[in-house]
Amino acid sequence: MADKETSTAPSKVDFCSELLSPSELFGARTRSNKIPVRGQKEFSRSDSEKQKERLQQSLEEHWALIAEERVERLGSLVKGLWIPGERVVELQSPAGKFWHTMGYADQGKQFLLPEEALYLMECGDLQVFFHDLPLSIQEGYKTLLSPESVTLQQYQVFGHLKRLGYAVSRFDPSALPTHYEMQINLPQKNDKHSRHLKRKLDHSVTPTPRHSEEQSLSKRMIEEKPETEAIPGLAGLRPAPSVSPEFSGGQGMDLDEPAERSRGTSWWMKEAVEECPGVSDSENTSTVPRWDFSSISFPDLGSSMARRSQPLVSPDPELLPGALKVGECDISPWLRRLNLHKEKLMWKERERLRNQQRYKRDINADPEVRKCKKWNEYLELLEKRRRHRSSSRRSKPAHLWAQEVKPLTHPGDSSSHGDLLKKISVIPSSRLLDEASRLSGDLKWRISFNIYQPDMVSEYKKSNPGTPYTRICVCSFDGPVPDLQAIKQLTYQSGNSPVTFAVVDHGDISFYSFKDFQLPVDVNQ
Amino acid sequence: MDLTAAGGSATGRKRDADTAARVVGVDTCGSTPVVWRMADVKCCRDAGVVGSLVGSLARQPRQNSRLGRPLELLDEEVRLLAESGRAVLLLRAEGAGESEDAHSQRVKKHQEDLEQSYAEQRALALQEKKSILQRVMAEKKDEDSVREHFEALERNFSFPRSSMAVQLCTAQAGLSYHADERSFLAASWPLCQDERLETRFSVFRDLRRRGFYLTSAGKFGGDYLVYPGDPLRFHAHFIALCISMEALTPLSDVLAIARLGSNVKKTVLLCSPQESEEDVIYTSLQWSGMV
Repeated sequence: MADKETSTAPSKVDFCSELLSPSELFGARTRSNKIPVRGQKEFSRSDSEKQKERLQQSLEEHWALIAEERVERLGSLVKGLWIPGERVVELQSPAGKFWHTMGYADQGKQFLLPEEALYLMECGDLQVFFHDLPLSIQEGYKTLLSPESVTLQQYQVFGHLKRLGYAVSRFDPSALPTHYEMQINLPQKNDKHSRHLKRKLDHSVTPTPRHSEEQSLSKRMIEEKPETEAIPGLAGLRPAPSVSPEFSGGQGMDLDEPAERSRGTSWWMKEAVEECPGVSDSENTSTVPRWDFSSISFPDLGSSMARRSQPLVSPDPELLPGALKVGECDISPWLRRLNLHKEKLMWKERERLRNQQRYKRDINADPEVRKCKKWNEYLELLEKRRRHRSSSRRSKPAHLWAQEVKPLTHPGDSSSHGDLLKKISVIPSSRLLDEASRLSGDLKWRISFNIYQPDMVSEYKKSNPGTPYTRICVCSFDGPVPDLQAIKQLTYQSGNSPVTFAVVDHGDISFYSFKDFQLPVDVNQ
Repeated sequence: MDLTAAGGSATGRKRDADTAARVVGVDTCGSTPVVWRMADVKCCRDAGVVGSLVGSLARQPRQNSRLGRPLELLDEEVRLLAESGRAVLLLRAEGAGESEDAHSQRVKKHQEDLEQSYAEQRALALQEKKSILQRVMAEKKDEDSVREHFEALERNFSFPRSSMAVQLCTAQAGLSYHADERSFLAASWPLCQDERLETRFSVFRDLRRRGFYLTSAGKFGGDYLVYPGDPLRFHAHFIALCISMEALTPLSDVLAIARLGSNVKKTVLLCSPQESEEDVIYTSLQWSGMV
């Protein structure tokens, strides 16, 4: 196509001029827009005629495709004007569909950033004029791209992503929440709506009323937390009527006692309750539990050898239904039927029992534990005991602490494996964002673009783009790999979106990202 | 200059003779060498320089699988062209260098061309309409009514300016290689040299001389992908890694690249140019299969 031109216009010195003649322009309306399919590549070179032929054909197709010039109807082209001072393109005719994701308006005029304009030029949507002449694509590359705005590499990444359908906007560090704002937001990790809110509000006014209200609300929630947790538990344990008159009387009102009195829901056995003085007195006045099992004795014939000969006394008639009368009961015939021999245990059994007694004390046998009414109280008790134990440190081999290198933990210091693990980890694992806010210094790397996924583009709004899918930092294969400091700083700067590194290797673009990784811990925390 | 013939004969010895007279006009974008003109792109390929297309394809601009001009070149590729005297750096007539007169003349020329193009396209459109009408009217015998129809068509025919086709030029027009504007690229492109680039270039030149086609192999962790023939038709065989003779390479690095090479079914070539001669020593890596 282009070559034809050179032969028809011999007057031109530049034999490479690729201008199309009017007839070629007119004919371009009907040209195909299909891309020829590339056949399967071959592995080895045989230099056979067939292979040469195929190569020839491929090359011809390739050149025809590459040589093709952009031809558009004048009516479908948007006209733009390059303003070198501002490094923008001002539109001279109304923008097309691209206005949905590109460009900005200022004082009633429509502008495009250089990379956007160049991309649209390449798409055949825009014609940019400079000094009254339209820019060729070549001039576009040369004129619009510059180190001050967007470099060739950055444009290559921009174009690559645009061609894939992403909405791409320039990254503007000043549009991000400030350090202070980020700090305020720290407790709310998943603050989608607060960020959304922030974007709607003016950036200069940080402590907005709505925001501070939200802040104090969340603070209050945190303060209230232990209470709210405790309230339902207490209410369930202590029904209202059980508040007996004695309570208001001058009896000791320490924390354990009121709970102890709510007899109805106690899950402890009788003995434990009996240890509490004055409990039986209050029994009659308490209306809710019908039976006071603490005062009703059930005969234990097996163990009480002392009572063996005596007959059982008749039970309290109050406890018996209606007209039933029960007299004394002679238990001796029953006793004879009982096997009262001492149980003979195997050696193994005995060993087990002994171990059990020594190491596995029944937790319910512990009176202090029994006093606990709630799980929280039990945990408190454990903590108290642990503190007590560690303060006394009876079993500590003193010489270990006498040297310069000391054990990292004391025996009995930790309540769980996870706790212990935390104490003995000398180098704590760190997360990507740890300390990142404190890092400073000039970075060789910069975030260039925000990108939004193609399937979200239909809902994309330039005025309120929302959280980007990711942010792009453009690097080169010739350059170094960003170091940890750079990665930390960029990740911090990017805030709520991940950072992706687009690495350009002579037109070939690969995307990489660095992700935070925590080694899994197999111990219960 | 028969470009079609030159572009077509990508294989064989004929190539060199054909393109010997041609030079490649290399433009720079930032510091990156790029080639814009179709003839130059073909000429590069004839010289065995593949480069990589980095622009949107005119025919289907919104896809990434086939790209269009410009053709970005590796520094080694430019240097190879320069060494054989086949590359010339394009000097551009910047706006500042151009007199106001010349510029206004260019603008005037552009306007005239547009007008002429409009007129011609209008004529072509009318002609097309006429030929359609003629075909439709062919059955009718009534000469008068046919003439009437034609006259009516000519009277009422309108070709709105908006439907005129315009070209969005890819390469810059009017930038020519006048002898005085030529500045042959120094053989030592790029200007800043270091040992690493030197090593890379020696390997590049040697492999090219042996008839291989090369592209960049960043994604494969090497320096070049080595093709037995034109990359359009052949798979790459080797991943070339340029290591200078003196450099101590940790075994782990060698293992890593060898492992990567076997994963993509390519052979890894360690390429070390020899100090004095122009020769390059090639070492390929292969797992021994011993257990």
